Amino acid sequence: MTSTAADILALTTTLKMAAITTVILLLIGTPLAWYLANMKSRFKVFFEAIVALPLVLPPTVLGFYLLLAFSPQALPGQLWQTATGSQLAFSFSAIVIGSVLYSLPFVVQPLQKAFEQLGDHYLEAAAMLGAGPIDRFFSIVFPLTKASFITAAALGFAHTVGEFGVVLMIGGNIPRETRVLSIALFDHVEAFNYSNAHILSAGLLISSLILLSSVYLLGGKFSGKSVAKKVLKS
Amino acid sequence: MTENLVSTAAVKAPILGMSIDIAFEHFHLVIDHNIELSGIVGIFGQSGSGKSTLLRIIAGLEKAASGQISIDNKTLQNSASKRFTKPEHREIGLIFQDSRLFPHLNVYENLAYAVKRKPQGKLSIEQVLKLTQLTQLKHQAVTSLSGGEKQRVSLARALLAEPKLLLLDEPFSALDKKTKAQMLTILKTIQHQLKLPMLYVSHSIGELQFIAKQLIVISSGKIDTVAPIHQAIHQLNNHDDVAAKTSLSLTIAEHLPDFGLTRLSLNVQSTRGESIYLPLLQKGEQQCALGQQIPCIIYARDISISTTKPEHSSIVNQLSATIIAIKPGTTSALITLRCAEQEFYAQISLWSAKRMALTLNLAVYIQFKANAVHSYHSTESTVDA
Repeated sequence: MTSTAADILALTTTLKMAAITTVILLLIGTPLAWYLANMKSRFKVFFEAIVALPLVLPPTVLGFYLLLAFSPQALPGQLWQTATGSQLAFSFSAIVIGSVLYSLPFVVQPLQKAFEQLGDHYLEAAAMLGAGPIDRFFSIVFPLTKASFITAAALGFAHTVGEFGVVLMIGGNIPRETRVLSIALFDHVEAFNYSNAHILSAGLLISSLILLSSVYLLGGKFSGKSVAKKVLKS
Repeated sequence: MTENLVSTAAVKAPILGMSIDIAFEHFHLVIDHNIELSGIVGIFGQSGSGKSTLLRIIAGLEKAASGQISIDNKTLQNSASKRFTKPEHREIGLIFQDSRLFPHLNVYENLAYAVKRKPQGKLSIEQVLKLTQLTQLKHQAVTSLSGGEKQRVSLARALLAEPKLLLLDEPFSALDKKTKAQMLTILKTIQHQLKLPMLYVSHSIGELQFIAKQLIVISSGKIDTVAPIHQAIHQLNNHDDVAAKTSLSLTIAEHLPDFGLTRLSLNVQSTRGESIYLPLLQKGEQQCALGQQIPCIIYARDISISTTKPEHSSIVNQLSATIIAIKPGTTSALITLRCAEQEFYAQISLWSAKRMALTLNLAVYIQFKANAVHSYHSTESTVDA
C-alpha cells in the first residue's frame, strides 16, 4: 500500500470513529447534561468534576486505565469478549469507547449550560398545556437549545478527530481498525517522511479551522436571532 | 355564540378541596379549606403571603407540598396514599404573570400547541382568537407583541387546552390601567361564555372587586377570610396595612352627559332613593347600559362626615347615615356608618371625631366627591388599591 492510500484509509477510519462517537455522545450526553442541569444535590460538583476530568487529565492516563480495563484479563474486557466473541483492546470499538469518554465534556458542558439557562419557565407552561416530559423535550427544549446541540456535536466531532493519546494507548496502530490520522502523522514524522506529514498536518489544521468557524458562525446566527435568549434576558 | 361554546352549562359549582402543608426556608403555607368554584374566585394577599405558591400547588408544580387536593370527587394528590397527578394530567390551566409564550413559535403556533395536546377539544383556534380579540395578530412573532397582547395569547392558549379550572397568577399586574381594564372585561366575558371556573390571584383589590364574586384573603401562609367580595373587602379594613374602603355594587340609573356624570342607585332594599354620582361611565363613545350593576370602591379617606345637612356644598354625593361603629387609631378614626342597609367607611382625624362629639347611633351626613367613586368600568379609572 502506498503511503497516500494508507493515509486515505486512516482518514476514513478517523471520520468513521468521530461520526460514531458523536452520535453516541449526543445520545448519552443529552440525558446526562439534563440530569446535571436539574441536579440539586450537593454532590453535583463531584459529578461535574468527573465529566470535566478529560479536559485536564493527560490522555495517556485515561488510555492507560482503559487499556487495563479492556484487557481480556479484566472484567469489562471479559464481558465484551463473551458478548461479541472478539477482543476489545486494540479494536475499533475500543477507540470509539475511549473517544466517547475523552470527548464527553465537550458535548455535556455546552448542553448542560443551555439547559440551565433555559430554566423551568417554558417547561411549566408546556406541562400546564398537557405536554408530558418527552413531548416537552422535543417540542420546547430541543428547538430552543438547537444552537447548543450544534456546538456540542461539532466540538465533540472535532475533538475526537484530533485525539492521539488515548488511541495510541488502547488502539495501537492497526490499519483499517485503529490507525487514525493523528497516529499516521506521528508515523510519518518518525520515518522522516515530512512531505506526507505536511499534507496531514495542514489538512487537519485547515479542516478544523473551517469546522470551528462554521460552528461559531452558526452559533452566533442562532443566538443572535434566537428569540429564546432575548426572552430569557428580558 | 354562547350556546355553541358550552355544551352543558355547569349545574353545580365544583368544590376544590385542599388540605395542604408546605414549608420553605422562611415561609410555611398551611391551607385546609373547601372552596366553591363558582365564577371567578379572587385570591388576595400581600406579596409573600403565599398566594402564588397556592396556585402552583393546585397546578401540581410544587411537588414538595404534602396533603390532599381534590376537585369534587377527583383526587389530584394525596400524600398519604402517595398519589400525585402530574400537572399535564390535571386538566388545570395556569396563566403566569410573565406570559411564557414559546418564543420559537408564532401566535398561531402557540395556540396550536395547546390544541395538538387536546385534539378532541370543543373550541377552535378561530373561536378563541375571536374571544380574545387576537385575529389580527395570528401570524405575528410572539416577541413582537405588547404586554397586553402577550397575556391575551397566553389566555387564549390556556383556554384551548380546555381546562376544568383556570388559575391566573397576577396575569395583568404588569399592564397599564387602561389595558388592564380591557383585559379584565375580556376575561369576565369569557368566564361568562365558557362557564369556566377561575381562581384569580392579585394584590389589587380594585381588580379583584371588578371580576370576582368571592374573595379568599391569604396572609402569611394561611387563609384569613373566604367571603362574598364586598364583605371580604370590608373585613380587610381591620388590617392596618390596607387602606380602608367601602366596596359596593351600584345600579346605573341615569347618564348625565352634559355634566359628565352618571347617577347610580344603591342596590339594597328599603332605599329612600339614595343616589351616588360618579364621573360619566362610558366605553369609548358608548355609555354603559342602564340597569347594569357595577362594583365601586370609595376610599374611607375620601368620605367626610357632617352633623348637619351640608346644603351649601359643591360635593355631589351626600347621604344621610347612622354611625354604627367607631374605631380609633393613632391619629385618625375609622367610622362605620349605615345608609339604607349599606355600610360605608369614613376615615376622619381623631381631632374631628372629638370636636364633633361623634357617638354611636348618631344620625349624620356623609359626603364625597364624584371623583372619589372608583370603578373599572370607567376607562379613566383611578382604582389602584
